[in-house]
Amino acid sequence: MTVSYRRHGPLSPEAVRSTTFAMSRFGRRGCDEEDVRVFCDQVGSELAVLLSEKNSLREEVNRLRKRMNGADGKGGLLTYRPEDGHVQAVQILSRAQQTADRYVADAQQYSHDLAKDARRHRDQVLAEAHSNAKRVLEEVHQRASQAATDALDGPDLPTVSKRQELQAELAYLRTYSDVYRTHLRAYLDALLRNVDEWEKAEKSSVALIRTERPPRPSELDL
Amino acid sequence: MDAQRLKDSFARVAEYGDAVPLFFYSDLFLRHPEARDLFPVSMAAQRDRLVSALARIVSDVDNVDYLSVFLQSLGRDHRKFGTVAEHYVAVGTSLLATLAHFSGDDWTPEVAADWTAAYDLIAQVMIQAAKDDEHRPAFWEATVISHEMRAHDVAVFRVSTEQPLPYLPGQSVSMEFAGRPRVWRLYSVANAPRGDGTLDFHVRLIDGGALSMALTRKLAVGSRLKLGPPVGALTFDAASGRDVLLVAGSTGLAPLKAILEQIGGLPSPPQAHLFFGARTTEGLYDLPALEKMSARSPWLTVVPAVSGEPGYLGECGQLPDVVARSHAWQRRDIYVSGPTSLVAAAIASFASLGVPADEVHVEDFCWSEP
Repeated sequence: MTVSYRRHGPLSPEAVRSTTFAMSRFGRRGCDEEDVRVFCDQVGSELAVLLSEKNSLREEVNRLRKRMNGADGKGGLLTYRPEDGHVQAVQILSRAQQTADRYVADAQQYSHDLAKDARRHRDQVLAEAHSNAKRVLEEVHQRASQAATDALDGPDLPTVSKRQELQAELAYLRTYSDVYRTHLRAYLDALLRNVDEWEKAEKSSVALIRTERPPRPSELDL
Repeated sequence: MDAQRLKDSFARVAEYGDAVPLFFYSDLFLRHPEARDLFPVSMAAQRDRLVSALARIVSDVDNVDYLSVFLQSLGRDHRKFGTVAEHYVAVGTSLLATLAHFSGDDWTPEVAADWTAAYDLIAQVMIQAAKDDEHRPAFWEATVISHEMRAHDVAVFRVSTEQPLPYLPGQSVSMEFAGRPRVWRLYSVANAPRGDGTLDFHVRLIDGGALSMALTRKLAVGSRLKLGPPVGALTFDAASGRDVLLVAGSTGLAPLKAILEQIGGLPSPPQAHLFFGARTTEGLYDLPALEKMSARSPWLTVVPAVSGEPGYLGECGQLPDVVARSHAWQRRDIYVSGPTSLVAAAIASFASLGVPADEVHVEDFCWSEP
């Protein structure tokens, strides 16, 4: 963790890459977090290259300076001191370490980006599901309230005066159906009576014909 | 020893930036190849820590009392790496060789004598502090006894240690997981000391974070951890007698929860307001426990706040703004814990509200990262 507001010592590439900034306060304008991070990454890498370049240039200057001194003092011969070998070994190991650092940093960066992408994707999926659920709920709610309104305003649920009106109409209809049933029954009774009379009349007339003469087959067939 | 000459010498060497610690570690590993195993593969962060510690030491070199406190904790902290007195000799040799290399012609016998004297003093204080600390283990072996994912990126786990680990509520311990050797990170203990000595930790997964990834995804019941000695100064000031305001962002809740448990154990606890903020409701990973705590503690008020979820029914917005709106910050001791960006924003917010800086307690992890 790099505490950006309390630093000691010079700024290193690693410090640039890992620096974090405070969020701007609500209502104030700030920079895009991702832009800042990408930029810090670039500055860090650039700084690392420049520092490494600066270092090797300095080594080169020292080497040339020594050569000049050697040329001045010792007849043009470059003389190596025993510690020069050690310094060279240190520089070789340092370069190897820097390579290893770069590989680890790249791997970490990759892992960071991957995790960040996954997180963003997850948030997106969640947000979508959230809004879907919200929409479905809203729809259901709307439908339910529509049904309730319909039920209140609709003809199926009469008001008191309407009900009274309907009851009156029902009573009127009941009375009339009674009347009509009575009428119908009387009418049917009369009809049955007529049918009976007709039967009786037919029987008596048939008996009268039998006494006068037997029917001929031709008469019966007609 | 001429303090000013030493500072000037360091300032000139420091101009070479990262090349200085790079040279130092390469020199050290060439002379003592076995020392390489004490460090992680990538040395980038390690080099920054070295330069940062050196810069701090040099800037305070004429303020020995003040410097001693820093060096003593550094010395104690190095015990867990298995650092012994001989290592200090090796480091001293490589440090002087590095300084000589980068000083060039400025490396006069006087400057060399200054640095030798300064380093001897540094090493002596660190070695003595480590020695004085020998009644305690160099590190504590711990076993995970429970582990649960509270959110997709937040784990809460409990460990028990083989030997008791005494600490103050609000302090942190560095932690190494067997699956990630030589990667130590500081985590706050999330509870006040218990009778059974178990410790709780809250860990949030950092994208690409080496240890946080392992602690959330790989840790399970039975996993082994190494814990370093407790460090940190974000502890409850019981002497002030004032009411308290605690501002916790995400897993920054851990040390403040420990402090709340400590307050709850006092005979007459002060009034405490806890603002617990996260981006989404899922991030309020410990809210049920906090609400349970506040239900049985009349002195405690818990206010959850969410910054990135439109439609949240409680407090919405960035935590410092929510706190500023509440007016609960007046005449209280303030404790802030959370991501660096939150802590910085809270400090700025309280400053603009006119709260004296010494009433705002925050943790400065800068020095103690191993």
